Parts: sequence; structure tokens; C-alpha cells
Amino acid sequence: MKYNVKIGEKSFEVLIEDINKRPIVAHVNGQEFLVNPEVESQENDQADQKKSPNLPEHIGNSTMKDGKLIAPLPGTVIEIFVKPGDEVEAGQVVLIIEAMKMKNSIRSTKDGIVAAVLVNAGDTVGTKQTLVEFQA
Amino acid sequence: MNLPDVLTSIFSQTAFTWANALMLVVGCILIYLAVVKEYEPVLLLPIGFGCILANLGMSVYNPDSFLKVIYDAGIKTELFPLLIFIGVGAMIDFRPLLAQPQMVLLGAAGQFGIFGALILAVLIGFPLNQAASIGVIGAIDGPTAIFVTSKLAPSLLGPIAVAAYSYMSLIPIIQPPIMRLLTTRKERLVKMEYTPRPVSSKIVIAFPIVVTIAVSLVAPAAAPLIATLMLGNLLREAGVVERLNKSAQNEIINIATLFLGLAIGATMTADKFIYDPVTGFQWQTLMILVLGLIAFILDTVMGLLFGKLMCWLSGGKINPLIGACGISAFPMAARLSAKMALEEDYDNFILMHAMGSNTAGQLGSVIAGGVLLAIVSKVLGVG
Repeated sequence: MKYNVKIGEKSFEVLIEDINKRPIVAHVNGQEFLVNPEVESQENDQADQKKSPNLPEHIGNSTMKDGKLIAPLPGTVIEIFVKPGDEVEAGQVVLIIEAMKMKNSIRSTKDGIVAAVLVNAGDTVGTKQTLVEFQA
Repeated sequence: MNLPDVLTSIFSQTAFTWANALMLVVGCILIYLAVVKEYEPVLLLPIGFGCILANLGMSVYNPDSFLKVIYDAGIKTELFPLLIFIGVGAMIDFRPLLAQPQMVLLGAAGQFGIFGALILAVLIGFPLNQAASIGVIGAIDGPTAIFVTSKLAPSLLGPIAVAAYSYMSLIPIIQPPIMRLLTTRKERLVKMEYTPRPVSSKIVIAFPIVVTIAVSLVAPAAAPLIATLMLGNLLREAGVVERLNKSAQNEIINIATLFLGLAIGATMTADKFIYDPVTGFQWQTLMILVLGLIAFILDTVMGLLFGKLMCWLSGGKINPLIGACGISAFPMAARLSAKMALEEDYDNFILMHAMGSNTAGQLGSVIAGGVLLAIVSKVLGVG
């Protein structure tokens, strides 16, 4: 289903794949977003994750660490959507890393303001390399 | 001679039957899937067109057909699957596997469906050589399936190749329900630490050589497949033959795929696929498609169950989703597992682990195909 959404002066072309699927996959001007409209249940899910005895916090490939966005996997940065000073919401795509020919949307897991972007499009990054720093 | 008589005489010469007409529709459906749905278009399009040609008198069974020349040169000699494997090898990055060698276990577990489907096919009444060829569909590795079938049961090449490549393209449809059914949400949410062992360029270059020698000594029947796969990989990793690497990834695999697809399609004549005036309906085609699907499902199930076992043994540190890509079909299966994990949690990246498991599955399916070939040839006393 295709929608044209106008916010202020800007219009966005939104393509929604399947409204009944969770998360809903929406393409906004060609960029992919995953939306979980049932925010409450999403919060519950995150709580479940933290409670799980098998998932101590230091284990995992989480992208956020000490106010920094780190690369969860090695690859090439192909697109960056933020610049210093930008406000970022949890779940927002910050940049895209292509690894093994698959585009991976790297999202912020917290709200914050971008302090510095440490990589450029085209850069090859290693696992755990800092990509973006957020203001404390 | 009036027009109806002319038409009748033309049609009687071409021996075109209703079954041929139906096969033209099958060919068009394959082309439709390739063009509109983009299901493995590189393969399904030539197979579909070959199928149409086969039923217009240009099949590989016609001694005057140009497609017979292609078939004899590349399928009968097993050359095309091997040329394709040079290209596949040049496209595979084995680093995720070399960095996490434990993934080999998942690549082995993903092959059990082959043997499960083989047993089922034998129970249903297929002779052992045909049953083995059908089982190999489960690995979802087209070239291996064609290689094994052209040795053991060449008459089944058409349906087996179509099944292998169709199911490969249907991975995103067939696998997710099984993955959801067999794993809990908690398991799918498991995050995996990616702390790869550093892999030196020496190891990456030595790997294809060592594997070729080891596999050729242990499972000689798999030697040509593994040797070409590893040759391609060596071209990629050597870093000094970029031209050959590029040719393997493009021209060689593209040309071989085009002719392989056409020749396989040209085996799909109506009498072999649907209805033979002498032996009647060809139920075995339908059975092969169904058994192939069962083999694929069994492979996925076994991979997932093994993934769950590894999850349990590791104290919840391994996401069982990566078990599902212990089949072949590199790299689609790995991407699907990674996507499934991302759908549950956008901050869970298991792609590199999935790639490790998937490359192991690619190796595993080649070796399993070779082992099967060796066992069945021995049992039947051929080769």
C-alpha cells in the first residue's frame, strides 16, 4: 500500500508492505523502517530480555555502549543519516553497514543528540568500532 | 491441398500433444516466476525457455537438436555444475567460518534431511539410485543435486533440478514458518557475541588447498565438486589473479548457468514430466517435487534442532536460528536467518554467525552429496 504523507512543507512517499505484520515494514522515500505500533508490548519485550538469565548485559552484539554507537558486525558504511547536533530517537536508523552483501540498518537504541560522526560513507569498519558518539 | 489439411499434416509431423501444450504452460510459469516474482531468475528463465523448446521438438532426446549438443557437452559430462562451482567458490567468503570453526557442526546437522528423504523415497518404492538423487534436493544445492543425479539417475534430471532451484528461491517462504514453529521467541532473541578469532591471509589461502586435499582423500566422489569450489575460492583469496577471480564470478558462472538451465529445461519433455503414451501418467514427477520439499523441510528442522541443542549446551549463547542456514543456498539462507533475528529485535545482528553456519552448510552439502554418491555407487556396484 502506498501513501503520500505531508509533514509541514515536506512530503514523504510511504510504502507499507503488510500492515498486519509485526514489525510493520515501511519504506519512506526508499529508506526502510521497522515499526512496532504496540509500544507497550515492545517495552515488555525489552524487559523480558533484561530479565532473561541467559542474557547478561555484557553478552551480545548490542550497538549502543557508553553513549556510543558501535559496529555490531564488520562491513562497509554505505549511508549515514545523521550529523552532529541531530536529535535521534530510539529505533531510528543512524547508518547502514553493508556486510556480506546484506544491508544492515544500524539503529540507535536510545534517544539522544549526536555529538560526532566518526565514520564516512565508504569506510570499512571492524566489529566494535565506534561509529557515532552521543552527547552525554 | 486445402488449409485444414495443411494444418493437420503440419501438426501430425510435429507430434504435438495436449501434454506438450501443458508443458508449454509449465515453461511459461517458470518464466513468469523468474520475471515477475524474481525467483532465481538467472536459472528459472533459461530452464523455462528450455522447457518450451523441449516440447517444440528441440529436446535433448532429439539427436538433431542443438540442445542435445549442449546437454551432452555439459550435463552428461558433469562439466556445467563444476564450472558453476568455480564461480560459487569465488563468491564465498569463508572467514566467518574460519573465525568460528564450531559452526561446522551446524553445517553437518543441516544434511540429515538428505538421508531422511532418501529413506522415505525408498519406502515409497523409488529405486536406491533415484531415491539418493531425490534426497540431495534437501541440501538446496542445485549444482550438487545435478552432479549427483547425472551420475545416478539422469532420467530424473529435469524434475530434480526444477525442485532444487524452485525450493532455493522459495527459501524465504518455506523456512520462516518452520523457524517460528521450532524456536521460542526467547531463543530468537538470543544475542551472540561476535568475537571472531583473527584470520590471517595465510590461513585463508591455505584453507581451499587443505580442504581440497583432505576431502579428495576422504570422499573421492565429492572431489570434483569440492576441488572446483575451492579453486574458485583460491582465485578470490590469492589476491594476485583478480582478473581470473572476476571472470569466475561473472563470465564463467554466467555462461555455465545459462547453458545448464537451457539443457536442464530441454529435458522436461511432456512424456518424461506428465504423460507418456506408453507408460501413462508420470506420477513420479509429482512425487519428486513432494519428496524434495520434505527433504528440504527435514534439513531445516534438523539444523534448527541442532541449533537448539547448541543453544542449550552453550547456556543460551547460541541463537538457534543460525541452525536453519546449515543447508546450502549460500548466502540467501544466512541472510534469512539474520533477517528473522532482526525482525524480533532490531538490535540483534547474527549475520556473521549465520554466514559461518551457511558456508559450513555449503561445504557439508557438497561432502554429503559426494558421500551419498560413493555409498550408492558401491551398493549398486557401479562406478
